[in-house]
Amino acid sequence: MLTAVVTYGSNGPEVLLSASEGEEGYSEYTYADCSIIPEGKDPSEKIESLGKCDPGPSPIVPEAKELYWGAGAFILFALLMRFFLYPRLRRSMDARYDSIRGAHAEADQARSEAEAEVAAYEAALSEVKAEAASRIDAARAALEQERSAQLAEANARISSARDAAAAETAAAHEAIRGDIGSAAATVAARTVELATGRAPDAGAVSAAVEGSMTSGATR
Amino acid sequence: MFALEFPPINEILRWSDVFPSFNKVAIISVLAAVIASVIFLIAGNADGSKAPKGVRNLAEAIVEFIENQIVMPTMGRDGLGWTPFLLSLFSFIYLCNVPGIIPVIQMPATARMALPLFLSLLVWVVFIGVGFKHQGLGYLKNSLFPPGVPGPLYILVTPIEFISTFLVRPFSLTVRLFANMLAGHILLVTFALLTKELVQGGNIALVPVGILPFFMLVFLTAFEVLVAFLQAYIFTILAAVYIGGAAHPEH
Repeated sequence: MLTAVVTYGSNGPEVLLSASEGEEGYSEYTYADCSIIPEGKDPSEKIESLGKCDPGPSPIVPEAKELYWGAGAFILFALLMRFFLYPRLRRSMDARYDSIRGAHAEADQARSEAEAEVAAYEAALSEVKAEAASRIDAARAALEQERSAQLAEANARISSARDAAAAETAAAHEAIRGDIGSAAATVAARTVELATGRAPDAGAVSAAVEGSMTSGATR
Repeated sequence: MFALEFPPINEILRWSDVFPSFNKVAIISVLAAVIASVIFLIAGNADGSKAPKGVRNLAEAIVEFIENQIVMPTMGRDGLGWTPFLLSLFSFIYLCNVPGIIPVIQMPATARMALPLFLSLLVWVVFIGVGFKHQGLGYLKNSLFPPGVPGPLYILVTPIEFISTFLVRPFSLTVRLFANMLAGHILLVTFALLTKELVQGGNIALVPVGILPFFMLVFLTAFEVLVAFLQAYIFTILAAVYIGGAAHPEH
């Protein structure tokens, strides 16, 4: 069975395929011998240079140089942060926050003042509207009163004109009735005279015509 | 049938010295401190009266994160004085974690034992010092003999409290950070090597299969972004909890 051997050396990652003993491509190379095999070299050449093999750092044991550099870098950074970097940044942040808070307070105050002005304006507007409404009501009442008076006056005029017209009509009616009665009496008297040869009594004819007209009008 | 034999862990942690006693992990540690200092220096020099943006916005977001998400819930308003220390811890650990996924560097400094051990011991010294400062010798009494426990149970509780408070805390802080970051590093190396071998191994039939470990590699890289932040946050909030607990025994 072929086995892929992965190494990570100074030239980057390398992968070699090795075969088990007896298989085609088998060599004496085993990974445990040495992990770094120069590219293109036969594994047997590597075995000859075992003395130069470096197993690499332990993954568990801390290396002193990394500890010193890491600790030094962090301590310097932390001190710098504590005494210079953070206070400087925090001060400018606080200044900006204070300015923003101040601007907010000013804005709140301006809003309150504007709201007060709006309230005063609305109160004045309501007052003016109420006064305008009362004036309109008064004008409307006066107008209504005047209209009623004029209407009554017109009605009175119409009524008196109607009465006068009725009186005139009644008078004309009576006059016409008289004319018709006398004409009818004349015609009736002449008719009777022609028929009988004698002139009838004018009073009787007039009474008969009057009675006939009266009964005819009421019939 | 192919089998992949992975190298011992110490093989993937082999970094030659840039100069004597200064290797890649040391470079990352120093760079983390320098980068964090530069970020906060630039932020401090920016005009603070205007709305923050860029580096200053980042720095202020970190400060507010430490204050609102770590200090206030664990220590309350009294703990705000610890913000610079916790801010340093968080920034430094995060910047030491992140190189694990930065191409070319690809090594978190916290995947080596030295840095987590130092930081844990520092937190250990700090919270014990805070305990003695605030409670005097009563700190030992409050820690080892928690009130409200029936007398005979102290035979059992006191050794457990001693071990958990004074021995296990620095150990667990160290191992949690170190093991998580080393495990992430090993996973990335594993899937990177697997992808490389499948794609460049010379077997045409295996090339399409190489896409699977490649996708896993991409996913794990994204996951390591989260882990880098999460481990820095966990270490810092535990440090805050320990310090807060030592300063206020009633909590």
